[in-house]
Amino acid sequence: MNRIEERLQQVKERGSKAFITYMTAGLPDMAGSAAILKAQAEAGIDVIELGIPFSDPVADGPVIQAASYRAIQKGANLKKIFEMVRQVRSEGCEVPIVFMMYFNTAMYYGLAAFAAKCAEVGVDGLIIPDLPYEEQPQMTKVLDETPGAPILIQLVTPASGDRIPMILENARGFVYCVSSMGVTGQEADFHRNVVSYLEQVKAVSKIPVMMGFGIRTAADVEPMKNTIDGCIVGSHFIRLMEESNYSTDVAKDYVRTFKAQMNGEKG
Amino acid sequence: MSSKYYGEFGGQYVAETLMNTLAELERAFEDAIRDPKFWEEYHYYLREYVGRETPLYYAKRLSEKYGTKIYLKREDLNHTGAHKINNVIGQILLARRMGKTKVIAETGAGQHGVATATGAALFDMECKVYMGSEDIERQHLNVMRMEMLGAKVVSVQSGSNTLKDATNEAIRTWAKEAEDTFYVIGSAVGPHPYPRMVKEFQKCISIEAKRQFMEKEGRLPDVVMACVGGGSNSIGMFADFIDEPGVELIGVEAAGMGIETGKHASAMALGRPGVLHGMRSYLLQDDDGNVQLAHSISAGLDYPGVGPEHAYLRDSGRAQYVSVTDDEAMEALAELCRLEGIIPAIESAHALAYAFRKAKTMTKEQAIVLCLSGRGDKDAHTIESYFSGKGYMN
Repeated sequence: MNRIEERLQQVKERGSKAFITYMTAGLPDMAGSAAILKAQAEAGIDVIELGIPFSDPVADGPVIQAASYRAIQKGANLKKIFEMVRQVRSEGCEVPIVFMMYFNTAMYYGLAAFAAKCAEVGVDGLIIPDLPYEEQPQMTKVLDETPGAPILIQLVTPASGDRIPMILENARGFVYCVSSMGVTGQEADFHRNVVSYLEQVKAVSKIPVMMGFGIRTAADVEPMKNTIDGCIVGSHFIRLMEESNYSTDVAKDYVRTFKAQMNGEKG
Repeated sequence: MSSKYYGEFGGQYVAETLMNTLAELERAFEDAIRDPKFWEEYHYYLREYVGRETPLYYAKRLSEKYGTKIYLKREDLNHTGAHKINNVIGQILLARRMGKTKVIAETGAGQHGVATATGAALFDMECKVYMGSEDIERQHLNVMRMEMLGAKVVSVQSGSNTLKDATNEAIRTWAKEAEDTFYVIGSAVGPHPYPRMVKEFQKCISIEAKRQFMEKEGRLPDVVMACVGGGSNSIGMFADFIDEPGVELIGVEAAGMGIETGKHASAMALGRPGVLHGMRSYLLQDDDGNVQLAHSISAGLDYPGVGPEHAYLRDSGRAQYVSVTDDEAMEALAELCRLEGIIPAIESAHALAYAFRKAKTMTKEQAIVLCLSGRGDKDAHTIESYFSGKGYMN
């Protein structure tokens, strides 16, 4: 069983909500990035999204764009990030890891080589925001042919409407439910019909529904807590890391507090 | 249903948020181009407002000097100074038909921005134009024009601060505001159906040129050529000649300071296929698959990718793509000024430069039809500083 599916199954059995963070890989540097990843795993994060820096992140808002740009300046690239994952796995870290990346990065590496490398080092999932459902067969074909390949996570948005059942039909892992129109990091500016939209997704989804985009604290998701199975924090987490000079203690504390509050425990 | 691909190029590499928007756009476009009333209105504005048809001018002195017939399709004589307005009229009429009240656009040299601002003023729509902060510096005149026309020019400061980044920002805004906003793409790039749409609305260039050439020479031209950045004037110039196998099609990319220096904008010279701005096409990339910055003295050719149909025409062998350097283009520009009294845009001067090279292999009876895509007024500062730096213009 894939690490993501296994972990989310455990979370469900406990009757809790899952918590996922996004961090651009390679910040403050490769070693620091690995330290933040391990600190979060220790604090009980359920899934970690590692952002693969790309020159033209069209699905991202200013915070992730800037982080992506800085990471590239510091020399981060796909090859080094594969090495980082290999390293943390060799140290016994089993947290589910998802690559959030743009399609060009995988295409340039070569899709078959990319899938094989993910399987080899232990990448569990892929989120590719510029690879919509209709363009996915080229990727899923390769993933299907590669033993131990990562799951391609499906995204749905408030504009998906009648596309939702099609997108979710064979979806695995979790559904990434985008909470607003536009790009990442728009501070809790959720779509006006966000709750009914989430309910619509939940009604057809056979797998956990995770809400992302614009979330900062557990309070932000309180109104839809009964509908979703968990949530994803990206831009806000990056900002926290920048402001604390990439403190692993701040990372741990944020993960523990968010999880506890979301699950109604004392922070 | 039209295919979303040209061979292996094209597609719709956009965020899920935009997929229904693209489907809506495709339906509206397919519906419009089957409606004679839509075309009637489009041609009304092209004739009465843009000033079409544009002349196919026989450049006598150039022809004599280079030993082959050179005809210029005078897109520089269009209202707003370039071919860009043809496509804007088509897309804005479509936007209006779809009930959109706002338009956004990206611009590099500012020509497409000016054309969109013009169309928006004409049809009473709110207009925002995204432009890289670097381009705002070097194309100040066009920024002023857009503002006079009532558009808001949004300065984009990310990545290289040029056209590529302005396009990223326009796509981001569109994803957020698609409900009431139409994205007017100026080049033959972007996700399907944009490349097809831009071709459809620029096709008038080759339809006219073919007929005009027939009237003058009683046959088809031997060579048809145009400059290629994203590829809008060239796809318009090629369109009606693609199915004429006897006509040689040549696209001219910008070699900047020379392909070997790495400072160029020739996506097809060394580029390999990649995905950017919603399409799969040839793309300048570094060793990590990040998009590389393009370099050209011409802001309008300064783009790391190229329209997907051009990538297909290249691979299928139907068209040939070559490149000329900044220096060659500037020399050709000066030549056209002096021999014909026409100041071309630096973009168009790239096609001219290659025409002079090509002419050497042709006879006196043969003919080149070249798309003179725009006029050079906007480039006055660049031209002045280039030649004063070189010291061979008074």
